[in-house]
Amino acid sequence: MDPADDWLVDSLRLYQDFYAFDLSGATRVLEWIDDKGVFVAGYESLKKNEILHLKLPLRLSVNENKGLFPERDFKVRHGGFSDRSIFDLKHVPHTRLLVTSGLPGCYLQVWQVAEDSDVIKAVSTITVHEKEESLWPRVAVFSAVAPRVLHGARLRSLQVVDLESRKTTYTSDVSDSEELSSLQVLDADTFAFCCASGQLGLVDTRQKWAPLENRSPGPGSGGERWCAEVGSWGQGPGPSIASLGSDGRLCLLDPRDLCHPVSSVQCPVSIPSPDPELLRVTWAPGLKNCLAISGFDGTVQVYDATSWDGTRSQVEPLFTHRGHIFLDGNGMDPAPLVTTHTWHPCRPKTLLSATNDASLHVWDWVDLRAPH
Amino acid sequence: MCGAGFGHFRWLAGGGAGQDVGRSCILVSIAGKNVMLDCGMHMGFNDDRRFPDFSYITQNGRLTDFLDCVIISHFHLDHCGALPYFSEMVGYDGPIYMTHPTQAICPILLEDYRKIAVDKKGEANFFTSQMIKDCMKKVVAVHLHQTVQVDDELEIKAYYAGHVLGAAMFQIKVGSESVVYTGDYNMTPDRHLGAAWIDKCRPNLLITESTYATTIRDSKRCRERDFLKKVHETVERGGKVLIPVFALGRAQELCILLETFWERMNLKVPIYFSTGLTEKANHYYKLFIPWTNQKIRKTFVQRNMFEFKHIKAFDRAFADNPGPMVVFATPGMLHAGQSLQIFRKWAGNEKNMVIMPGYCVQGTVGHKILSGQRKLEMEGRQVLEVKMQVEYMSFSAHADAKGIMQLVGQAEPESVLLVHGEAKKMEFLKQKIEQELRVSCYMPANGETVTLPTSPSIPVGISLGLLKREMAQGLLPEAKKPRLLHGTLIMKDSNFRLVSSEQALKELGLAEHQLRFTCRVHLHDTRKEQETALRVYSHLKSILKDHCVQHLPDGSVTVESILIQAAAPSEDPGTKVLLVSWTYQDEELGSFLTSLLKKGLPQAPS
Repeated sequence: MDPADDWLVDSLRLYQDFYAFDLSGATRVLEWIDDKGVFVAGYESLKKNEILHLKLPLRLSVNENKGLFPERDFKVRHGGFSDRSIFDLKHVPHTRLLVTSGLPGCYLQVWQVAEDSDVIKAVSTITVHEKEESLWPRVAVFSAVAPRVLHGARLRSLQVVDLESRKTTYTSDVSDSEELSSLQVLDADTFAFCCASGQLGLVDTRQKWAPLENRSPGPGSGGERWCAEVGSWGQGPGPSIASLGSDGRLCLLDPRDLCHPVSSVQCPVSIPSPDPELLRVTWAPGLKNCLAISGFDGTVQVYDATSWDGTRSQVEPLFTHRGHIFLDGNGMDPAPLVTTHTWHPCRPKTLLSATNDASLHVWDWVDLRAPH
Repeated sequence: MCGAGFGHFRWLAGGGAGQDVGRSCILVSIAGKNVMLDCGMHMGFNDDRRFPDFSYITQNGRLTDFLDCVIISHFHLDHCGALPYFSEMVGYDGPIYMTHPTQAICPILLEDYRKIAVDKKGEANFFTSQMIKDCMKKVVAVHLHQTVQVDDELEIKAYYAGHVLGAAMFQIKVGSESVVYTGDYNMTPDRHLGAAWIDKCRPNLLITESTYATTIRDSKRCRERDFLKKVHETVERGGKVLIPVFALGRAQELCILLETFWERMNLKVPIYFSTGLTEKANHYYKLFIPWTNQKIRKTFVQRNMFEFKHIKAFDRAFADNPGPMVVFATPGMLHAGQSLQIFRKWAGNEKNMVIMPGYCVQGTVGHKILSGQRKLEMEGRQVLEVKMQVEYMSFSAHADAKGIMQLVGQAEPESVLLVHGEAKKMEFLKQKIEQELRVSCYMPANGETVTLPTSPSIPVGISLGLLKREMAQGLLPEAKKPRLLHGTLIMKDSNFRLVSSEQALKELGLAEHQLRFTCRVHLHDTRKEQETALRVYSHLKSILKDHCVQHLPDGSVTVESILIQAAAPSEDPGTKVLLVSWTYQDEELGSFLTSLLKKGLPQAPS
């Protein structure tokens, strides 16, 4: 039996469920629309890219009588074409609109998902404040009756724009040229930003620019790149911000004190990361204190941070998804690199992950610690 | 309906909507020939809606006269289920083409289906066993890649389609126009069948199913994993697994999978294969070999395919044995026979599992339990409570969006026609195909007609003599520039030839006639006619520098082949008459010379 078959037999006890797909093009985007569909988008620079709205296999959407649904396939519900590469895509909640960002980074593209056909059409653009050739603006959406788009490539070019009127409703109004690595809307008035240097901030848009901030992470910060994600916002005490560095360090922070991480651990990953822009850290929406990280290689690692405190330095993942390495690579091609991952909004242990060789996996891992 | 140099296809679908429960029946008109592709049954309906509406085809007039042939792609009922109805109840006596395995398996499935419909459900207007037999007598079986002449103009050829045993894609050709119909096919090989393949035949039109065109398929490995997991979990907890199967093909695939897994895990749980299947096995063995993939063929060389290490023949007494086991039994829809017997014994235990590997026709137990029914009324009003786990796994191999693009890329058609989709909803797919593969894409709705204009090429042979003569003209032919050629086109016995006029006359036994024109031009000239002729010669020589102008010893002047003679009419010595004469071929030059001379001659220099 070849290694792939061996791994597959192992997978019987490691995964409750496992699906593997080949997309027509690799994606760096996995954006949910309700809990039944995701958007993916290509990022090639020399040819036309596709944006696809994929409906999850029925088996993943039903709770009753699962065994009676034989279909294990994604359905392409909508599709569109983009001349630019797409690095970020956000769905505007309660609408049929999407906002994408890519290179060249001088504008954001707004798309409409058709109702009576399967077409995703480009409808308008949002110009950005500062035109950068090689940086693409990060995007986040304030969902409201009048949705607003938050975007920026650097701190000084951060803006909130009303989608309908295109009026700027908020700017950072600073001259800081720090490069942004992620933006996240937390509620109707607040958003979080993370700079590539590791600088984090929480901003209340009801006030003039005065974010709760930290400074860049402490010693050892020699050119690493950072990204971050805020977990369950406003739901009780405890660390809810996770920050991941390209040297494999994972810090957990409490929003009340961004300057002193609650814990800082070293993840067993191969460093340096081949493409630090692909780093991703996510909180599990359905599992307390669980995180997933990716972007170092062809794996996705899941951690349980429950007992992490300031003293822990080395940690081991609760689970490592190796499917991309065994199923997709055949030993001859360069090893795949995970470009993005996301948690299923309703199924606690189900994740989706994508790689640079256009594979997409949906996997439901088994917590081997749990009693049978 | 082919006009001069203009051909078209007509496409008509009797297909149904919905995913698994559609039916296929397509009519193609190509260069005056009418071909029916598949003749499927709609599995979701119980009344006449399950049959295609054949009145679409020809209002009056017999189908046998209208249709040149019927082609069946494979034995699935949604592709052949309406065939006996069509040939025996509606009426068609022409040839029905299909591959050998399809010919062998079709009647069995049709008879099974008939039994369910009539015996189990008491249907009235259904075809009989005799009708199935009569229908199959009209079948002409074909081999892969064999060109079959339906008549002296229409030919067909079958290609390997994967999907199921005996499934084929068909190329239909009339002269230089062709269409390829894919039926159902699969572009990724599995454990017992290879992938579909077609050569770069460049048909005018490729017709393909689009039911799965908008899907991205889960990998074969993951689907197998799912199956293994279910089986493993059941036997681990001491339960029994029943897998109802039709015959070879899918069962084979699953057996190979289990055997490999059992070996790897060193499992001791018994796996059984019902005797009904082993009996059929040897019968289908000969059919099966050319249709499997390379790997299987190699294995079969080493051993008989039913000599598995871990899989043994089933005895009905084993069903009562305690402990876990896995059993493959026929028939596939649990509607009778051994699989139903076993099902009844095992249904009451929640540790057990039944895995349905395919679609089940309405009325069968398989269909009922897949619809979620848990209390079944059996014979004698006995109620069976189903506590065992019911799993539905789709093992059928279909091409998804990626597979369709691959096949289109292989065949390189001018146009693609997608059947069974919902046209409005597939705009993106249409754009994708048109952009990436540079072909036109059509997506007609049920009952719609699509007309595709084609420009068929008419081959004409040019005689060697004519070619040589043209070459001798002196000018070399230029590859990119058209060259005007004069000849006579002879059409005889569907043959077109271009020959020189002389040759044509000779072949027709006609004498050649030459037309010669003579025109008189009056000139005022007092000199003698010899001098007039000389003046004419000098004048023409100076003007017509590109032409060959000669002054002959007898006094006449020639311009190419045109002759000019000067004469003096007796009445008036001051007037001279020029006789300009030319053949029909030199009409243009002759007219030109005449008008030139009518303008008069220049004054002689003193």
